Amino acid sequence: MKRGSHDCQSRLPDNTALKQQQLPAYRLQLTATIILSGFFITGVFCLGVGVILLLSAKNIKEVEINYTEKCSDCAKLRENTANFDKECTCSIPFYLPEAMKGDVYMFYKLYGFYQNLYQYVLSRSNSQLMGIDIKDVSNCAPFKNSHNGIPIAPCGAIANSIFNDTIVLSYNLNSSMSIKVPMLRSGISWWTDKYVKFWNPSSQNLSSAFAGTAKPPSWPKPVYELDEEDPENNGFINEDFIVWMRTAAFPTFKKLYRRLSRIQHFTEGLPAGSYSFGITYNFPVTKFQGEKSVVLSTLTWSGGSSLFLGLAYTVTGALTWLAFFAMMAIHLRLKGRKTLFHQE
Amino acid sequence: MEQEPAAAEEPGSPGARRRRRRRRREGRTRTVRSNLLPPPGAEDPGTSVAKGARRRCAGTQHLADNRLKTTKYTLLSFLPKNLFEQFHRLANVYFVFIALLNFVPAVNAFQPGLALAPVLFILAVTAFKDLWEDYSRHRSDHEINHLGCLVFSREEKQYVHRHWKEVRVGDFVRLRCNEIIPADILLLSSSDPDGLCHIETANLDGETNLKRRQVVRGFSELVSEFNPLTFTSVIECEKPNNDLTRFRGCIVHDSGKKAGLYKENLLLRGCTVRNTEAVVGIVIYAGHETKALLNNSGPRYKRSQLERQMNCDVLWCVLLLVCMSLFSAVGHGLWVQRYQEKKSLFDVPESDGTSLSPITAAVYSFLTMIIVLQVLIPISLYVSIEIVKVCQVHFINQDIELYDEETDSQLQCRALNITEDLGQIQYIFSDKTGTLTENKMVFRRCTVSGVEYSHDANARRLARYQEADSEEEEVVPRGGSLPQRGSSGSHQSVRIVHRSQSTRSHRRTGSRAEAKLASMLSKHTAFSSPMEKDITPDPKLLEKVSECGRCLAFARHQEHPLAHLSPELSDIFDFFIALTICNTVVVTSPDQPRQKVRVRFELKSPVKTIEDFLRRFTPSRLTSSCSSVGSVAATKSAHKAGSSFLSTLPNDGALLGLEERLGPPAPALASNGYSSGARGWAAECAAAREPQPEPEPEPEPHSEPQPQPGSGPEGELRYEAESPDEAALVYAARAYNCTLVDRLHDQVSVELPHLGRLTFELLHTLGFDSIRKRMSVVIRHPLTDEINVYTKGADSVVMDLLLPCSADDARGRHQKKIRSKTQNYLNLYAVEGLRTLCIAKRVLSKEEYACWLQSHLEAESALDNREELLFQSAMRLETNLHLLGATGIEDRLQDGVPETIAKLRQAGLQIWVLTGDKQETAINIAYACKLLDHNEEVITLNAESQEVCAALLDQCLHYVQSRSPHRAPKKTAGSLSMGFSPVYPPSTVTTAGPSLSLVIDGRSLAYALEKNLEDKFLFLAKQCRSVLCCRSTPLQKSMVVKLVRSKLKAMTLAIGDGANDVSMIQVADVGVGISGQEGMQAVMASDFAVPRFRYLERLLIVHGHWCYSRLANMVLYFFYKNTFYCGFSASAMIDQWYLIFFNLLFSSLPQLVTGVLDKDVPADVLLTEPQLYTSGQNREEYRPRTFWLNMADAAFQSLVCFFIPYLAYYDSDADVFTWGTPITAIALFTFLLHLGIETKTWTWLNWTACGFSILLFFTVALIYNASCATCYPPSNPYWTMQTLMGDPVFYLTCFMAPVAALLPRLFCKALQGSLFPTQLQLARQLAKRSPEKLSAPKGTFAQGHVPGEPRTEPSEQRSLRASGSFSQDCGSQASWHAQQPACSPEASGEPSVVDMGVPLREDTLLEGLSGQTPGASSRGQVVLEGCPGYSRRKPTSTSRAAPLSSIFSLPSFSSLSWISSLSLVSGLGSVLQFSRSGLQMGKRDGEFLASRPQPDQDLRGLSGQTTDCF
Repeated sequence: MKRGSHDCQSRLPDNTALKQQQLPAYRLQLTATIILSGFFITGVFCLGVGVILLLSAKNIKEVEINYTEKCSDCAKLRENTANFDKECTCSIPFYLPEAMKGDVYMFYKLYGFYQNLYQYVLSRSNSQLMGIDIKDVSNCAPFKNSHNGIPIAPCGAIANSIFNDTIVLSYNLNSSMSIKVPMLRSGISWWTDKYVKFWNPSSQNLSSAFAGTAKPPSWPKPVYELDEEDPENNGFINEDFIVWMRTAAFPTFKKLYRRLSRIQHFTEGLPAGSYSFGITYNFPVTKFQGEKSVVLSTLTWSGGSSLFLGLAYTVTGALTWLAFFAMMAIHLRLKGRKTLFHQE
Repeated sequence: MEQEPAAAEEPGSPGARRRRRRRRREGRTRTVRSNLLPPPGAEDPGTSVAKGARRRCAGTQHLADNRLKTTKYTLLSFLPKNLFEQFHRLANVYFVFIALLNFVPAVNAFQPGLALAPVLFILAVTAFKDLWEDYSRHRSDHEINHLGCLVFSREEKQYVHRHWKEVRVGDFVRLRCNEIIPADILLLSSSDPDGLCHIETANLDGETNLKRRQVVRGFSELVSEFNPLTFTSVIECEKPNNDLTRFRGCIVHDSGKKAGLYKENLLLRGCTVRNTEAVVGIVIYAGHETKALLNNSGPRYKRSQLERQMNCDVLWCVLLLVCMSLFSAVGHGLWVQRYQEKKSLFDVPESDGTSLSPITAAVYSFLTMIIVLQVLIPISLYVSIEIVKVCQVHFINQDIELYDEETDSQLQCRALNITEDLGQIQYIFSDKTGTLTENKMVFRRCTVSGVEYSHDANARRLARYQEADSEEEEVVPRGGSLPQRGSSGSHQSVRIVHRSQSTRSHRRTGSRAEAKLASMLSKHTAFSSPMEKDITPDPKLLEKVSECGRCLAFARHQEHPLAHLSPELSDIFDFFIALTICNTVVVTSPDQPRQKVRVRFELKSPVKTIEDFLRRFTPSRLTSSCSSVGSVAATKSAHKAGSSFLSTLPNDGALLGLEERLGPPAPALASNGYSSGARGWAAECAAAREPQPEPEPEPEPHSEPQPQPGSGPEGELRYEAESPDEAALVYAARAYNCTLVDRLHDQVSVELPHLGRLTFELLHTLGFDSIRKRMSVVIRHPLTDEINVYTKGADSVVMDLLLPCSADDARGRHQKKIRSKTQNYLNLYAVEGLRTLCIAKRVLSKEEYACWLQSHLEAESALDNREELLFQSAMRLETNLHLLGATGIEDRLQDGVPETIAKLRQAGLQIWVLTGDKQETAINIAYACKLLDHNEEVITLNAESQEVCAALLDQCLHYVQSRSPHRAPKKTAGSLSMGFSPVYPPSTVTTAGPSLSLVIDGRSLAYALEKNLEDKFLFLAKQCRSVLCCRSTPLQKSMVVKLVRSKLKAMTLAIGDGANDVSMIQVADVGVGISGQEGMQAVMASDFAVPRFRYLERLLIVHGHWCYSRLANMVLYFFYKNTFYCGFSASAMIDQWYLIFFNLLFSSLPQLVTGVLDKDVPADVLLTEPQLYTSGQNREEYRPRTFWLNMADAAFQSLVCFFIPYLAYYDSDADVFTWGTPITAIALFTFLLHLGIETKTWTWLNWTACGFSILLFFTVALIYNASCATCYPPSNPYWTMQTLMGDPVFYLTCFMAPVAALLPRLFCKALQGSLFPTQLQLARQLAKRSPEKLSAPKGTFAQGHVPGEPRTEPSEQRSLRASGSFSQDCGSQASWHAQQPACSPEASGEPSVVDMGVPLREDTLLEGLSGQTPGASSRGQVVLEGCPGYSRRKPTSTSRAAPLSSIFSLPSFSSLSWISSLSLVSGLGSVLQFSRSGLQMGKRDGEFLASRPQPDQDLRGLSGQTTDCF
């Protein structure tokens, strides 16, 4: 039908490999050899990678200090929203038994903060954050406008709930003298975030750029006063803000806060000794039974700090080997019985 | 653009339908008047007015025009109509609902527009498919609409060319020979002087014999040519209906006279005018109102079992989805409640500042979850399945193995959506005639007046046809011992040319190719393959016939020519006359297609009136009271007719009787014939008693009485018979030089050996009917001028109608003896599986005839119960018969039927044969096709009444149950072996003990199908290996199928070829029609149409299996794929784009490719190990258990895929999408790997598809993540992918998770594969294990077929096949790996035949023998079929036995083959061949019990091989 009847045998099907389903094919055959060797190789590989990962994870030094309870006074203070303008600081001393070599990063970590809540994630205005239209608050419900109808910048629930504790790490050179550990507040966000996704509205100065907008209700200061020292880190392109705006995937998450500036005493990293965190406690977590902590950590090539991947690899490798041995045993027994299947 | 015309005609069609509906209410008749007449109201003539009138005429009558429109849509209506149809599918509604849910702001999960995309995509794909189909329909409509025909134009006063679509009701159409009829036309004029027209209805019902149509009474008498302008009559007829066999109406002339219109007056659309130069008719029904189109119902929609199961599982998925959503909604509600009072920072209150109540939040969350988790329901499942099915159907259609060269047809799938059902069939219900057999009736033997003529040469000839079908290449022109072989020689050169052109030629040649060529030459002539035509006469009988002819020729001028013959000779003479003329065969000649051979003598109608009779018989010695009245009438009528009768009336010449009255040419003929006969006789008396072709004195070219068809196609007459039996008998008579040359409605001319042409006046034909089971002709014998009745019919009827013979007189005793002898022979024929017919004769005196005629004419003219009266009249005539003889006609089994049945049975299919034939014949055919086996017990149920039937059934059941302990172990063994044992040799099943078979006749079946007995019957039938229902009606057939289908819950397949099988085909799950000789009704009703029965094997075992396993795996895979996501909050961690398009784009293609192309077991292994089919029957691949297992596995995998990234990114600063994208990637990898495990064959297409998927995913992800920083709220995945690709954790997780996810599956699979391998897995191993042996020859074959590639030598192929088949033989043994050494020589030495020396040769010889079982033909796989048969024949033989036995038999064989090759070279006579064949047969009887004697074949095969070897 499709072909014309130019041939006397017009209905003779084409004899092509495809049409006759005769395409050269590799038959995947799960023979004992393939399976066994496959399992063996996979096992070896997984174990190897696992061991490497574990070893590298062992090099990672990490200090985590949960200051929810340690600053309970401040927590109590913050539970009442009326006290928002009262400052509350709290100092947490700790001892670092080993030096942390290399780059050291300071994270804050929140427990039970559902930043991945669907409505929460939605509540932002990308065009506002890009500085395209400062008044665009369309997606930001319910934090669109302030009480007097002025659009909020940055609008939305994410921005409104920004982590606003200040954490300062001091190193006690000796019992009396402590110096502030120099920390960089830049380079903690994605490059694309800083230079593409977030942009201040163009204007002479920031305060005029944000004219006509209101600060988010729970912010003490407007957005253009986030970092008054460094204009490159102010407004929407404040890196703490950017980091916060990248919503975490899990209710327990840590976010990069500062990284160690390796100067003076700290060119090698953090030396062992006693330190203390000076925390300006602003962020209320006890209200929703959350917790917060501060984390000092180094990174390895694999980036992650957790042991999990290494463990997972090791366990998988071990399981694979277990399976391999089980099958080997069965195989050998069956081979003795001379069944059809196993005879290599 | 293509829709333009459709759109234009759109308003017309529904309107017309509406109008038609209205008209139906108005009245039950239709009035048609000529369009050429001015309508009653129009006064002024003129072209414009005529046109207007024409339009108005059509307008007022509201009749459909002849435009064909099968398209469903128009440009305008396409969108709404198509959408409406698509929403009939619930899934679509569901998905649209979900997409629309996204527009509700409170619950939306995705961008609303985006959510609609997949649904729109699916709808668009389906719509596009529909559009394309509609367009192709439109195109074919267009083509048909623009065919041309001649329509009488009022303006031009002549016939002008018009398109079909312009033809209107009331138009006059002129059709020439071989034109296709454009509409239903009332025949008004024919160029045929009789007012006849022959049409071929092949397009309508597939029947290729010519049907006669008659000009409307009253128009046939017109002397001048019919002028449409003078046609003023009005036709009243019934409304358009779809009854092809009925048409009633009347034509009202201006004068007010009415004439009836019958089916005989109507030419149906789609038929072809044959044998008639030109006809003119008026269009009665046009376009969609024609009977052909009203009969045309589109393809049927059947739902496959798999689909039903799948729908059920989709519902489970919905349930699962609801549960998961509910779970998360409740969880969300609780969660919200927990934080409600606390005003947490992350809480997003409503705009009025209040938080949602937990319940509202839960409800919202529930809806959102449904949206997010919608992927659980496979949206693309239906579309993908549809695509896969279309591809599968395409592949099945394209399978070259299912192409039948002879009929130039391949398999057609008419139902698109039940391909996978083919893999699950449990019961096959088969028709016998035309399905198992070829429906090619071949005259096999006969008995005349008690003497049996066994026709041994004929038997050999038939055997050779059988053999030649299985033969491959070489057709050696055979020696002159069998004259008809000359024909093959003459076709030889043509065929070789033809074969060298064809790309794959060595498939079926031999007699098959001849048959094909012959059928190509003589296109459309049914029942005339060389096999049916070339009958080898029995020398004894031939001699008697010629002697009889000589005597008659000698005694011709005497008073009673027949009296000079001995009774036996006279019987023989009458016997052949009866064979020749007692039928309705139409004679045509091939050079002018379908041009009737006729020399017109005069215009005469059959005896229609008593006057007519008297007119004809006045000159005879009629003395009865009728005569005086009659003669007056006769004179009158003769006067009226004004014909030449008058002059011949007084002629009382009894001897020259008819001939002289026949008008000028006839006497000449007769005398010519006579003289030639006399001369011939004189010559032959001196010569040997060999019959020689007559010297041909006649001037006409078409009346050559040459018995040899090979003398040239011009000299060949062609017989077009309504039933194959008739043709067979006529051809048989021709073989005895008793040739039917011409048949008109009133006379039959027969060419006889020494008498020349005799013309019998045909007085009546009493047609065959199934109640009388006989037909008769009444003729006037030209030699004796007696009125003879020749009756031909079923033996049971005819034997009872014989003249009772007195026991005292010698003649009577002789007769009695003859009868009992004949009866014995009849029984013998029945045992041989031949169809028997008795031939009898009755001589009527003129008085008897006159009296009978009177009553008969009364009956004919009777108005009420005419049928009844005619029946009685026939009964009166057909009594006191004199038995002449009986014939045995063989209905040959189709090629490969026994093998196919054996295979199907091994495949676990139960085969029931439901036939209308009688019990003995059916049983014999059943034995012949190995349905019944001689060592099995046959239970025969023949009950006279309900009670007897019940009692018999109970008895049988009792018996069966008493046997059951005997059967029990076998059963358990069978079920055990299903799961655990390796591929067991088929012999273990068949030899486990004598199994039962049930034979039941129609009447008992009727009782057994009663409500109270059906369970017992079914139980009994279930115990039996085969069931044979004889004498069953179509209704019973369908009832049996329905019973099995509903009670046993089994998948049924019905196969048949005739109209009587239609009901059964429609009832069965899968209906298969054989596009055979008996018309197209069965094909029309079927889901699949195959050219031959044996294709069923491949259809079921290969394609059925593939389709089933492919679809089953695919469906499972779909469900698996879609259970993947288990988010834990209402927010999707995976980007909406990935989520939505994952199913559609990223992961669907490899799966489609696998679904279309995967072959779990290669075809040849499936064919050699049919028991693999049982996996489909037991639904091993897709059952609830596998579904849930799969779901569980999927759940595990999704957990792995979720938690490995979760834990890996836990406690890190990863954001939602940095974490979600790896999950997507992992999911994709896991899918592909999983698919990789499940895919059994990897072609480059699979690789490409997988590669494409991965590539597509990453490309899309990269582009998407780089394209726009803010464009895709709510997700904002800018640069995520790019960042991830720089992160080693990403790669580590991407490797880790799939491995961990698939580990258990692989492990379980491997364990299961080694501990409890299924048969399929073993078969796969088998295929893998012997790839060198199996695939190497296949490879060469495949390459050999590719045009342009040099073809390998046939000899080489044979040897290759030998090795292949041997590996199969080995494979079917239980411990075949021990046989490897035995196989290895062949395996290693494929291409170099010469190097192989003796071991190879013996094996090739052996193979040559075993491969020559009838079904084997040249392709590798097909030959393999024969091999299990071989191994079955020696079930006990060890691995070594086969080669050993061949070694033992080697010397004699090789010497034989030496002789044969020598003899073939030197051209020794056939004597040697015969002796050798005898020798060999003896040898083989000892060696291979089951193989059939095929002397020539073996010799040729052997000779070919020896020449190859040395």
